[in-house]
Amino acid sequence: MKLKWSGVAVLAIFASAAHAQSSVTLYGAIDSGVFYQSTAAASFAPTAHNNGHVYGIKDGSLYGSFWGIKGAEDIGGGYKVNFRLQGVFNSSTGKLGLADTTGGTAVFNQQATVGLSGAFGTFDAGRQYTPMIYAMADTDVRAAQYFGSILGAWLGLNQAAGWPGTNTNVPIGALYDSNALVYQSPKFYGASVALEYAPGGVPGQIQGGTRESAVLRYSNYGLNLSAVYYNAHDTNLAAATPSGLNNNRFYYLGAKYTFRGVSVSASYGIGKNPSNTSLADYEMISGGLGYQFTPFFKITSGFYYLKDRNNSANHSSEYAVGAEYSLSKRTIVSAQVGYVANRGTMNQTIMYGQIVAPGVSTTAAMIGLRHSF
Amino acid sequence: MKAMNGLRVAFGVAIAATSISAWAQDGAAAGASADTAVTASGGMTAKATRQANRALRRKVYAALAKHKEIDAGDISITAKGGAVLITGTVQEASQIDTVTEVAKGVAGVTSVTSKLTVQRPFGQ
Repeated sequence: MKLKWSGVAVLAIFASAAHAQSSVTLYGAIDSGVFYQSTAAASFAPTAHNNGHVYGIKDGSLYGSFWGIKGAEDIGGGYKVNFRLQGVFNSSTGKLGLADTTGGTAVFNQQATVGLSGAFGTFDAGRQYTPMIYAMADTDVRAAQYFGSILGAWLGLNQAAGWPGTNTNVPIGALYDSNALVYQSPKFYGASVALEYAPGGVPGQIQGGTRESAVLRYSNYGLNLSAVYYNAHDTNLAAATPSGLNNNRFYYLGAKYTFRGVSVSASYGIGKNPSNTSLADYEMISGGLGYQFTPFFKITSGFYYLKDRNNSANHSSEYAVGAEYSLSKRTIVSAQVGYVANRGTMNQTIMYGQIVAPGVSTTAAMIGLRHSF
Repeated sequence: MKAMNGLRVAFGVAIAATSISAWAQDGAAAGASADTAVTASGGMTAKATRQANRALRRKVYAALAKHKEIDAGDISITAKGGAVLITGTVQEASQIDTVTEVAKGVAGVTSVTSKLTVQRPFGQ
């Protein structure tokens, strides 16, 4: 019986693609808005200064603009071959999103995968989202959005660890991994596991540039639980020869509970350089509270705290609150406000890609429109 | 039995009507109308009613767990008598109907109110 159910589940997941086997599905979203921030900086450099307030058009009120192509082919016996190509673009400028290489861009910077799915689960090879980012989005009331969320907090941890913000090869954890092999198990009573291994592809090296991660998730009874282990070698090295140095480790535990209209979330994470914790050792704590007033209107809020475990003078507290109203099934308008108190060398941002100077407290607000297609 | 179910539903509606905000029902409203419960549901105490409601809620979640494409961690299910209220989010529009049908198929469920909305999975 269990096997049968798995088959049904797989069929259901790919039902939309099943009738379009010989063609592909084009999908995506365009998201833009008016943005204000009380301070700004030119880069994430420790010496960056506050250049004053900014006011402008900004891509990504909820998430970044993106587009993708996906498809699935039924090869019989309950198996399917799947592919997905997906990348972000900036709706303000038309520019493509960041690649692993500093300053570089990639057409399909989010996902470029081919894989197999069946009763065993799914297996995908290529550039893709890491399992850890889904685990974090699942356990954040603000769902790892661009404005004031667990995504910005985790990136704040990376900025503190020296990430320049101009590539996707971050020092702690990862949002995307290239050359990755990811296995996702089916759910058993709501529980599932995802395993990732990315061979480094470095000549003469077995550990050079490798990444591995394991994520445990549970989702039932209104409760989402996530546990993340991520470890990588030679990440965020600027043009240096990979040596197999184990320099990226991230642990995360998170929970979100939904009862009637109310959602509550909390999480705890640690990110460090396991080879030398004096270079990077940070703590991340989050809390969230949201209320769905009607199926079309909700308010979400979050608190995100970062701490440097090597120097207690460096810490950051961020508060964000946002209202989302669905104009239709495909279009959402939103209004959001955030405040971040950065201390010491911390430069946690409120909005993804909108840089603030170290130790400078900042307020930001955004009104946006997101249309999915 | 049908008459009793009707009374239970009526009792549920009464509780819903008297509570100011939906999520504060369990504590205040149920306690205040405990006397009514005894007379209205023919000897069934407020505590027993709550237990029955929770048991039904668990049965709906257990039924949903068999549909592996659905993340029931994002879905809230509450029961009052046989009336089930579903709120929260699903990843695809088609899953709204699936969840409603699954809940209707659970023994003891007399009506289903769905306020589910679609929230696309992260990154899509």
